[in-house]
Amino acid sequence: MRTVFLVFSAAALLSSCAPLERPPTRETIELRGNPYERGLSHGQQLKSKINSFYTTLLTNSLFPYLSREQPDIATLMPRYASQEYEGGNFAYQLLLDSAKNVERRIPVSLRDEMRGVADGSGLSYEQVLLLNTFVDTTLSVRAVALAIRLGRAPRLTSVTFTGVGADGVDNDGDGQVDEPDEGSFSPYVPAHFANVVELPTDAVIRLVLTDADGVDPATVRLFLDNVLYTADNPAVATRALSETELEVTLTPPAPLPAASRVTLVVGAGDTVIIHDPPPSHASFMRDEELTFTTVGAGLAPEEVLRPELTDGRTRPAPVAFGVRRSLTDTGGLYLAQHFSLLDANTAHKHTVVLRHVAEDGRATVTVGWAGVVGGFSGMSDRGVGYVCNPSDTLDNGVVGTVLQNIADLSQAQLLADGLPVVLMGRRLLENATDVASAQGVLEQTPHVYGWTCLVGDGTGAMAGSEVDSDVFGEAGDGFFPVEVGGVNSTNGDNLIIGANYMTNVRDSPTLTLQGQRFTPQREWSGFFNRSRRVFDAAKERLDAAGGPIGLDFIEGLLGDPRFVDNSDSMNAVVLDFENLRVRTAMGEVPATAAPFEAVEVRP
Amino acid sequence: MKRLLPVLLCSWSALAAETTVLPKGGWMLDAAYMFSWIDKQWANYESLPLVEEIRRYEPGQGLQGILRPRPKAEFDFLMLQLMYGVTDRLTVGAYVPIVLRTRISTNIEWQPGDYQSTLGRPYSLQDFWGWAGSMGQQPVPDHWTGGVKLADIVLAGRFLLPEFEWMKKHHFRWATQLQVVLPTGTNADPEEAVSVGTNMWELHSAGDVEVHLSADKQFLVDDKGIYRFNVGLDLFYAFMRPREYKGGHGLKNPLLNNTAPYVGETYWVDGGDWLAGTLSVDVVPWIGPALPTFVSGQSAERAAALPPMLMLTLSYTRIQTFQSDWQSNSPLWDYDREKYWQAGEKNILRATLTVSLLRVGAPLQIYARYQAGDLIPGRYTRPANIFSAGVRVLAKFW
Repeated sequence: MRTVFLVFSAAALLSSCAPLERPPTRETIELRGNPYERGLSHGQQLKSKINSFYTTLLTNSLFPYLSREQPDIATLMPRYASQEYEGGNFAYQLLLDSAKNVERRIPVSLRDEMRGVADGSGLSYEQVLLLNTFVDTTLSVRAVALAIRLGRAPRLTSVTFTGVGADGVDNDGDGQVDEPDEGSFSPYVPAHFANVVELPTDAVIRLVLTDADGVDPATVRLFLDNVLYTADNPAVATRALSETELEVTLTPPAPLPAASRVTLVVGAGDTVIIHDPPPSHASFMRDEELTFTTVGAGLAPEEVLRPELTDGRTRPAPVAFGVRRSLTDTGGLYLAQHFSLLDANTAHKHTVVLRHVAEDGRATVTVGWAGVVGGFSGMSDRGVGYVCNPSDTLDNGVVGTVLQNIADLSQAQLLADGLPVVLMGRRLLENATDVASAQGVLEQTPHVYGWTCLVGDGTGAMAGSEVDSDVFGEAGDGFFPVEVGGVNSTNGDNLIIGANYMTNVRDSPTLTLQGQRFTPQREWSGFFNRSRRVFDAAKERLDAAGGPIGLDFIEGLLGDPRFVDNSDSMNAVVLDFENLRVRTAMGEVPATAAPFEAVEVRP
Repeated sequence: MKRLLPVLLCSWSALAAETTVLPKGGWMLDAAYMFSWIDKQWANYESLPLVEEIRRYEPGQGLQGILRPRPKAEFDFLMLQLMYGVTDRLTVGAYVPIVLRTRISTNIEWQPGDYQSTLGRPYSLQDFWGWAGSMGQQPVPDHWTGGVKLADIVLAGRFLLPEFEWMKKHHFRWATQLQVVLPTGTNADPEEAVSVGTNMWELHSAGDVEVHLSADKQFLVDDKGIYRFNVGLDLFYAFMRPREYKGGHGLKNPLLNNTAPYVGETYWVDGGDWLAGTLSVDVVPWIGPALPTFVSGQSAERAAALPPMLMLTLSYTRIQTFQSDWQSNSPLWDYDREKYWQAGEKNILRATLTVSLLRVGAPLQIYARYQAGDLIPGRYTRPANIFSAGVRVLAKFW
């Protein structure tokens, strides 16, 4: 028996002497040589991950998802019913068309690098091109699809807060006190800041919802101060004003807490069930958020920070901020970002920090994914760095190409135009020497989609920008600088951006073309309210720091649940300008479940 | 859904004690029906469903929900064994497992994910399959039934080693056995959402080559050589050969089975070898009468030396498994499989009741067996429970 015991002990020892190790889900690789050589090295070193990233994210996830839109799009644009787009080829061909259109904007050096990636990885050049352009193109197409969908859904057209007409306060921040329509918003337009302030605690809120197909009262959902009210609740009264308008009156059963910040979330669907594409569903409006304070809070609308929302339906949007000088322990500049967009349970397994060392010895670092030659953040050895967040807009390259054929949609094509942000980032790092020249790159680049970016340099200078494709030819030429000390700052040494515009608030005009309504971002973007809330949370956390902050605080802040999208978090980055280091947490979902690791920008 | 990998244990089992061999010229045909079921796998002594949960995402819209399959697989086997005594010490045989039917209940549970603003609700399971159906992915069936398939055939030879005098004196026997598998089983279909293979790696019931060293110690042996009590020990090493598999192209299940573009058109699975041992106890509660019949050549004396009429065998098998190795173009994909096949162990308890009619003139043995694979938790293996019943026909041509 003793022998038997020994044999099994030996077996257990043998079989456990080489524990299974998980392959890295984040990698840091250095690429040297000319652009093609660097791409080749990238492709060879990450061949396995490039192939799996392409297949699992694009072939298995994004292509079939986008292909669901083919019938709707082909109805409007007949070319998408042609043989070229059939047989499950729709999404690939659609994105490839855009990639090829975008390709002419891509610098030769980056094209050479992508050829190298293709040769090294075994993917075709077209596939690598697609991998480097699909984010902007997909966001553009998705924006169009979302705007179309929301065009069919109920809209909140009027909001009235009662009890504010004779309180001697400018409740709606319009500079007038107790004017006849104080507390009434008709037409209602989503606000960046609080809708009203100093509301009586027993206020009644009256809403009007409009939908061409009629609003289904049973779908009305109101979430006030963390309490859910549906149509069957006695506190909610609904009344049809017409076939297309429904009045909803909410009389809270108990007084609201005084001197508080309160959010009311409004949702509703219409009466028509859409069956294709499945699953069957009514058209639902975006969850609309109304923010207000109750009497005693003593805040102006623009001073009100949106409170945390715990309805289980919202996820944080991407956020980024910069802090420097009086606010940091070293006096240096840090740019920090928690980026979330599209993980699909796969992107996090393919994260990469690329350090490029060009033939002239200059080095840049980008934070991205296998096969992608740039990233949504990066830093150069000149001490220039950037971080960018998406900002939904109909002022995008795809809409631009459609508008060129708006009179005859049979000729129209969904084609992206401009330079994708990950490639813009590379250009910025390779050319900019300081914040001013980085802003110049952002200004001169034709953008495929909308983005908000922060840039900084080794002197502690930083600036922000909000960009779009400028297809409507409005003021700003698609570039809107965001200065320190303005609405994106709480003092002279910080700057915050979310995934919405704070300056470029008229990114798209409000107009109707061929029956399709175009509106600014704040009226339709799923990011808008989420972004405003995470933006305010960042303000709150930075102001509450109570003194200079360091890396520990910043990295902890990026992992705060208010900034963490547990489904689509992709990476968290801190650019340390004083030490020329890029610190990243990634390789897990959420990204901040992984520890931060530092990479020196200089080899 | 990843395919199921059933794991059974149906080792060469017709002979009771670990060292039993047939007499020279003796034949034995063993036909057994075996019902096996499995519904879990062991992690580190922790019970997990056989298939990992699948998190489904809508691009840019967060988590749709989590598919949590809790599959249960049931198998009906016909086991045929034919053995021949080449000499009084050497018995050779072939073991042919035939899968008569496979039934798999997928038992998929759904945990809703993030709120989907376009639907006005989180996805339900029905919503999810509707969504998936629009992309060509049909629902994974609730139940799947597979038909008749041949598994890997086992060839074996057992040699009763010469005993030293002290061994004879103390009723001690020892034997060695070699088993080799013929690759007649099948791989799981890479295009099916639910599929099972029948090769020895998939069944995990025996190694491709096994070398055994066995010993028996008999107690209370009568003058005819019939014992009342036997303790046996079998130590063996099982070698698993690498097997080649095909990657899936998602031809039938585009969202679930399209792996070939990054895994490769083919990949290899090098199953971890086993080091194992069985401790068994045979108890003979009733020897029974001995009648001179044709079975004993009309000899009462020979009849009295035939196996007892009733025997109960209890055994415990511990199999120490080594790390299994997937070799594809994607180390990440490999890891997601290897993590469930780390070095581990399985613990198997068996009880067998054998009724032998040889002594009364019928060349038959009837037996029933229950094997519990999940009473004692293990690590990184898959425990099957098995009920089997069979009949052995023995013949000796004088």
